[in-house]
Order: sequence, then C-alpha cells, then structure tokens
Amino acid sequence: MEMLKVQNLSVNYGYITALTNASIEVDQGEIITLIGSNGAGKTTMLMSISNLVQKNQGQIFFKEKNISRMPSHKIVKNGLCHVPEGRKIFPALTVYENLWLGTIGNQNIKKKDVQELVEKQYDLFPRLKERRNQGGGSLSGGEQQMLAIARGLMMDPDLIMLDEPSLGLAPIVVEEIFELILKIRDTGKTVLLIEQNAAMALSIADRGYVLQNGRIALQGKGIELLHNEDVKRLYLGADD
Amino acid sequence: MQYFISQIVNGLCQGSIYALMAIGYSVIVGVVGFVTFTHGEVIIMGAFAAYYAFEFVGSMNLPLGILAAFVASWLVGIFVYKVCYERFFKAPRHIALICTIAVSILLKNLMQIVFGAARKPMINVIDNKIYTMGPVQISRLQIVIILTVVVLSLLLLFIFKKTRWGVSLRAISQDKSAAALIGINVKRDAMVGNCIGSGLAGVAGLLIAMSYAILYPSMGSTFGMKAFTASVLGGLTSVPLAAVGGMCIGLVENIGITVTSATYRDIFAFVFLIIILLIRPQGFASKKGGRP
Repeated sequence: MEMLKVQNLSVNYGYITALTNASIEVDQGEIITLIGSNGAGKTTMLMSISNLVQKNQGQIFFKEKNISRMPSHKIVKNGLCHVPEGRKIFPALTVYENLWLGTIGNQNIKKKDVQELVEKQYDLFPRLKERRNQGGGSLSGGEQQMLAIARGLMMDPDLIMLDEPSLGLAPIVVEEIFELILKIRDTGKTVLLIEQNAAMALSIADRGYVLQNGRIALQGKGIELLHNEDVKRLYLGADD
Repeated sequence: MQYFISQIVNGLCQGSIYALMAIGYSVIVGVVGFVTFTHGEVIIMGAFAAYYAFEFVGSMNLPLGILAAFVASWLVGIFVYKVCYERFFKAPRHIALICTIAVSILLKNLMQIVFGAARKPMINVIDNKIYTMGPVQISRLQIVIILTVVVLSLLLLFIFKKTRWGVSLRAISQDKSAAALIGINVKRDAMVGNCIGSGLAGVAGLLIAMSYAILYPSMGSTFGMKAFTASVLGGLTSVPLAAVGGMCIGLVENIGITVTSATYRDIFAFVFLIIILLIRPQGFASKKGGRP
C-alpha cells in the first residue's frame, strides 16, 4: 500500500530554489532513504511534508489523504511522525516528560496506556530508563537522538521520518541507531530516512533517492544505488 | 520594633500578591515568548470585574469576586493575544512589544471612559478582624490573601507538573517548532497560556485592590512594572523564581518604608532590582542546567 506520495514538489527560499519538481513514493513497511550532499534539499523535503515551509507547487498525499495544506500539528495526528534535524528534544523537561508528550500525536492513546508505551521505549533504549528523571538537556548527543526517536515512537506512528539521525554521533553510536531503525521497521512501521552517511543508509534501505541541487537525480533499490558508479564517486568517496 | 514586625507581615502579604502577578507574567512570557506591557491593565481589569460583581450581586462573596476577576482578565488575555501576538510570531520581536504598549494605553483610557477616572473605594468583603500572636499582628484579610495566592500557585504547579497539557505548555515555552512537530497546537495553546497568566494577574488585581481598599484605572501601570521587575529577578520565564522575586520585592518595599515614608515605596522596589541585576545579571536563575 502506498504510504506517502510527494508529487512535483517545488520549494523556494526567496530567490533560492531548494527543490524542483521532486517526486517520491514510500510504500508501507519500507525503509526509504533520501541521500544527497549539503544543500541538496533533503531537509527541505521533510519540512515541506510536515508543512513547515511554504510550497511553490506540488501535492503531498499521506495514506491517500491530501495533506499539502494541513497545519503541522494536524499532520502529526494522522500518524506521520517527523524527528527533526538536531534532535529538538525539550531540554528542561525530564526524559519521562519528553516521552509523555510524544503521545499527544495520537488521540487514541488512553491515559492508562502511557506507562506501557514508555516501558516499551525503555526496552528499546535501555539507556533512557537509567536517565528517566534527568533533564533532556543533560543527556549526551547520542542519548538525545535516542530520546528524539523514542518520543516519535510514543505516538505509534505509521510513518516515521528521521532527519539525519547520525549527525554528530560517534561511529559506534551511529551503528546502534541504524540497528534500531531496522528494529523499528520490523515492528511494522515505515521509515523515511535522510542521511549524509550514504553508505550506511543505502545498506539498510529498501529503496533510495539521490537528490542533487533540488532534483531527484537517481532512484532505485538500495543495493543497486550502493553499487552505482555515479553514487560511488559522488557520495561514497570511492576513487577511480 | 512592633512597627517593624508588622511591616514584615505586611511585606509578606504584599509580596505574595506581587508573586501572583509575577507568576502570571512569567507564564505569559514563557508560553507566548514575548515580553508584555499590558500586564498592569490586565491586573486592574480583574479588580474592576470583581468590584462590579460585588456591586451587582451584592453578596459579600470572595470566590465570586475571584471568579469574576479571573474570567474578565482571561477575556482580556484573548483580546491581547489576538491583537498583539497572533500575527507577529515570525515578525521582529519589537513589533509585538510596541503593540502591547499600545494596547496598554488603549485599555487604560477605555477603563477611564467606562469606569470613570475617579478613585473608588473597594468594597470590603472580609471583616477586619485582627489576630494577635505575641508581637505578631495579622488581619483576616491578609490571611485570606496569602491563602488565595498559595492555593492558586499550588494549582498551577499541579497543572504544570502532573497534567500532560501543562507539560505541553512548558514544552511550548522551550521550543515552538519542535512542539508543533509532536502534534501540539502551538497557536491555540499559546493563547490559553496567555489567558492563564492574565487570569492570575486579574486575581492579583482583586487582592491588591482589597488590600489598599481603593481602585482606579490608572493604578495598574505601577503594578505592571512591579510584576515585570519580579519576573526579571526570576529570569523572566521561571515561574517559581518569579514568585520568589515577587516576595522579595514586597518585603524590601515594606521594610524600606519603615525608615522613610510610604511615598518612597517604589524607589525601594526598583533600586532593589538594579542592585540585584548589577550583582547577578541573570537574576536568581542559576547558570547550571543543560549542556550548551
């Protein structure tokens, strides 16, 4: 089933074009990755799906519903979760409170289910359990990223969009995060992953898109892209 | 000595009213994200609402007055939010600020037209019984005032700590775009936050009018500034520290006027602010906290 469909999306920031006619499709249960260099428009793509930036043209459908003009907070309530770049957890709230707020995105979650959901996240991220009463701002970078993902999972989303989850993390933590993404997919969720770490992202992705100067330059199966000569040269740092 | 002790009691009582004003102020600044200068008018609006509630209903019923003050200033809060903030979240910050100054002038003059500029005696709803415990004398009115402030503060604390909605208000004050991304309706909740802060300020207005036993439209500006001062002492967005700031100002003022005349009350409050800010520019707030 088609989960998310972005059609002919164009976004400008003033005179600067960020995205031109970009279309992507995400099917249920897939891990889709969007790779590209700095300024290629990856984050802009997610921001326009969440309607945080103004679109010049283009339509966005989520579960066959047109969400192009919906306010951000309502999009979330349809089951689409966006874990933004730079984590954006609430530094002065405790880990538990951060997780608790994650349930706002889903109105079907009852008060009595919250504890169970929180325990579920603690199973997935044992480190958060140790720090549950600590302020979010006192966590390390990796822990903050885990908290941001866990907060997103609290609303039990159908599609979770991760914006550069490996940004600024130690390689061993990055591996941990990628293993988690596979685990998240195994629980039946769809993942849209944005990454600069192209090799890592393509190796776990079912399909991938390559963004170049705001256009979709290439698309295909993760493994195929991983062995594509252009991708190798441009993003994976292989020397000829 | 007797005089000194009773001034400390007066200071505690007045400080608790300032604390309530400052709590309201900090809730507004925290949740909305803008400094406001309509606070004084909101305070007096609450007092007037209670005044007319007492007058029309005729009952000597304090909860009724508190409710009237809270509801009236809640409504003013909606008005202020719609005019001053709603369209200016992405504009430069001084626009909203100047807008609040304009609304403050507008409200003050409207109140003078509608309610009259003359001083009105505030109807006394609490009988003037005085309790004596050794050297300490405290009136029933003062006890009622302090209790009201304590109860309202505890209620607010409960909402902010124990309800999901309260925690989400705190989240809004930390990061609005992240709050929108987890499904919080930031615009609506910022308005409700503004209204809660205004409502508390209105109740504080009722209490201060009762303690001075007088009421007139232009008395608000001083109190608005005192609330601002107390809130700055607490670091602007910290609700508990704003309450501490309010208490300090009340005490400093009332102890200060033991050595001079009551006319110089405001000097002590604002000089206290300047001294504290010279020593600790961040107010009472501590520097520790999250990682940079």
